[in-house]
Amino acid sequence: MFDIGIDESGRVAISGRLDAAQAPRAQEFLDRVADSCVIDMSHLEYISSAGLGVLLRTHKRLMAQGNGVRLINVSAHINDIFTYSGFDRLFDIEAAGIES
Amino acid sequence: MHRSFGRSFDELKRIVAFTEAFFAEERIDPSLRNIVDLCVEELFVNMVTYNLETDQDVLIELSRHGNGVQVSLTDFNVERFDPRQVAPVDVSAPLEERTPGGLGLYLVMKMADAIHYEYRDRSSKITFIADGNKPDV
Repeated sequence: MFDIGIDESGRVAISGRLDAAQAPRAQEFLDRVADSCVIDMSHLEYISSAGLGVLLRTHKRLMAQGNGVRLINVSAHINDIFTYSGFDRLFDIEAAGIES
Repeated sequence: MHRSFGRSFDELKRIVAFTEAFFAEERIDPSLRNIVDLCVEELFVNMVTYNLETDQDVLIELSRHGNGVQVSLTDFNVERFDPRQVAPVDVSAPLEERTPGGLGLYLVMKMADAIHYEYRDRSSKITFIADGNKPDV
């Protein structure tokens, strides 16, 4: 099950499985984010290329406004996908277990 | 184990349940689940998105391969499409040159341990193996 929302610290929290079926919902939510965006991925279990597309589209839009997306609490498996995709060069990524 | 799935992204939930049941039944290393799920999704989504000339279901077959899994996806009554021939994505490109899309098959090539393609009688069959024996990339 996928979910996305704002947590008590003002971060975007995503959880569950961000796949091609859920990507439109994630994109619709992130399209409403206007400033710099921190996404807490501590409860994200899975991401496919459709989810990567959502992150990239949002990051490009916010970077064009002088902001951007920061990804925190990223699990080892999802971090591998970010590395394969070259996202480690594009995003500020913080692995799980590192407190900011 | 095999099952057919309709040409909708909404079928991804059923596909995940299908692979989950197979892993449990065959006692496959759970660390391979994310790789299998990702490769199956990317290949299934590619078939559903681009093979618009057919309305037939996609057949997914799972079998044990050593300590890992062999997975085949077959799309019927479609043109030939060998995913191994797709040009690689430049993942070192700067942000301004990156566009959403195109990463799916690239990730399959990166994460699957082996990939085979067969086209016969207008059936397009992609088989991949996930057994954890691919050298680190």
